[in-house]
Amino acid sequence: MSQPAASSVVQYLSFFIAGEEYAVGILQVREIIEHDSVTRVPGAPAWIRGVTNLRGSVLPVIDLAMKFGLPPSTINRRSCIVVVEVAFQGEKLVMGMLADAVGQVLDLGSGDVEPPPAFGTPVHADYLAGMGKAGRKFILLLDIDRLLNHQELRAASAVTPERAAS
Amino acid sequence: MKTDLDAVRTAFRAEATELLAGLEKDFLALESASDPAAIESVLRSVHTLKGNSLLMGFPAASEVAHRVEDLLARLSHRTRPVTAELVTLLLQAVDTLRVMLAAHGSEGREAPDVPEIQRRLQEAAGAELPTDSAPAPEGATPEKAAEAPVPVTAERTLRVGLDRLDRMLDLTGEIAISRGRLTAMLEQAHRYSPQELLEAHRDADRLYLDLQELVLKARMVPIGRAFQPFARTLRDLCEASGKLVRLEVSGEDVEVDTAVVDLIRDPLLHLVRNAVDHGIETPAVRKRLGKEYYGTLKLRASHEAGSIVIEVEDDGAGLNRERIRARAQALGLLQPGEERPDAELFLLIFTPGFSTAERVTELSGRGIGMDVVKRNIENLRGSIAIDTREGRGTTIHMRLPLTLSIIEGFSVKVGEETYILPLQSVLECVELPETEKRPGHTGVLNLRGQPLPYLRLREHFSVEGPPPARESVVVISQGRGQAGLAVDALLGQGQTVVKPLGKVFQDVSGVSGSAILGTGRVALILDVPSLLQKALRNLPAAAS
Repeated sequence: MSQPAASSVVQYLSFFIAGEEYAVGILQVREIIEHDSVTRVPGAPAWIRGVTNLRGSVLPVIDLAMKFGLPPSTINRRSCIVVVEVAFQGEKLVMGMLADAVGQVLDLGSGDVEPPPAFGTPVHADYLAGMGKAGRKFILLLDIDRLLNHQELRAASAVTPERAAS
Repeated sequence: MKTDLDAVRTAFRAEATELLAGLEKDFLALESASDPAAIESVLRSVHTLKGNSLLMGFPAASEVAHRVEDLLARLSHRTRPVTAELVTLLLQAVDTLRVMLAAHGSEGREAPDVPEIQRRLQEAAGAELPTDSAPAPEGATPEKAAEAPVPVTAERTLRVGLDRLDRMLDLTGEIAISRGRLTAMLEQAHRYSPQELLEAHRDADRLYLDLQELVLKARMVPIGRAFQPFARTLRDLCEASGKLVRLEVSGEDVEVDTAVVDLIRDPLLHLVRNAVDHGIETPAVRKRLGKEYYGTLKLRASHEAGSIVIEVEDDGAGLNRERIRARAQALGLLQPGEERPDAELFLLIFTPGFSTAERVTELSGRGIGMDVVKRNIENLRGSIAIDTREGRGTTIHMRLPLTLSIIEGFSVKVGEETYILPLQSVLECVELPETEKRPGHTGVLNLRGQPLPYLRLREHFSVEGPPPARESVVVISQGRGQAGLAVDALLGQGQTVVKPLGKVFQDVSGVSGSAILGTGRVALILDVPSLLQKALRNLPAAAS
């Protein structure tokens, strides 16, 4: 999805989660909104913070920190929600990702992106599209489509007895 | 310019599809009562179809329509009586036109035998003596035609009354004016008092709300649209199977979202076929059993606690418990000697590959199976249940949520959150007695001498913080009994616009949707039955 085309420059939007800088392809980003009240949905996986009102439609908000196995994000003055469009079970879905702060827009050429290392990153390598080089820093490029379609999403929710019986 | 032409074609197809559906219904009505006025109105529809087809460069369809018109003219002049055979022929003409229409739009679709149907229509119209058109040849059974979908294209259209659209346009105009006024006032805000500004805003707001309601209502259609084709389906099924079935429809006016109507059609079709094929006996058998000669099939729709309940009931043979058990054992779904309660056992017929039919008839074993029915219902986040008595009949209950609609809601507060309960399920509210103040997920309180089990939402949803000094219990009707939900505060009732929660939450039970509150916060709409069911399942875990 966010594989950079050969020899072209791809733009990424970076944001911070638990002190680490992550980025997603800017074409997947719809907008950035201020963090507002998020209504918890009982029974949903813990890393789904809940739902919020995006100009009249209901937007699911996920906490990537929890998805990565880190403590839940705490809301601060700079907290915001990055609204992204992801492919989920064959459909386009609009979702919000909770971020501690928004970083910058990065222009990365194909030479600036390294494949993700097998270990050592705070995020499982499966969820990474690569490591972006920005100056002397590495920024973790997330593959959010894969992140959301991961089995966990379904497995975490309750299995109804009817389904178990059939 | 191609797009313009496409738009015209789309409009033509939509109209033709509707005309054909109307014709089908009218032809069926002709059979039960041939009223000259009714024939006149049918004639007009056919004539429109004929004209439109010709205009769209579709002479073949126009020709067929012309023959139908001819035949109808004879009927209207009473030179021909309306017989069952004639109605069959007319219905076949409708089917032919449908297939032609579909073929017209897409390449590679097989065109039906048009000359044959034309010949027969002409014959029927021309012949003064009763024709031998009699039963249709096997190949042209309406069965095959009923299968021919009305697909045209995947585009979804909805017809909205012009006056409703006019009103929408009026409202947008009025909103534009009041927006301008509001902007002008805000630019000069120092001249106005806050009350005046608020008043201007409220004026505009009322218009917004009116528009919102109007748009929502435009999406709601009577469920009758989904029921209507079954008169035809049943007629065809009866003709093919030699059974006699009467259709009773109720609750056609129950309004549901157009999406639900679209999605419920296929499962219903299968259930109706299944009822006729496996449920209702032949007239001879029914007579021997001392039943009414005619079988009865009932389609019912009703609103229940924020859901739509659709029932398909037949007075046929009912499910044979022993045969289902045997079949389940053969499939390895049941261990030998294992017992299951009826409700669970009968649900096994929704397992893929499960069929108790001793032989696969021409009618069954095609298209979707019962397992697909169940899956479709579950995809709509609904549930399905079977009620059957051997020798008496079977009722299939389907409970579907309203995907998008307005419900009367009852709001309650738990912790910081507001939750909405469908008002239909709320019976009354009482204060939680002092003796029940101890915390806990559940409890039983004494409601006028009757034990009332209740679920404390605060604990069930793991809300932090101490409970308020006073807690209230909302008494809800649940199945045949009652149950309570203990909440922090009661906020009262009001209309709620239901917003679906989306795919991410498709497996979350206990919540049926959401609504946006006046404060901008999102409130969840609770699915009371599944919430209580979940509480029931969680009990052993909660106790430990």
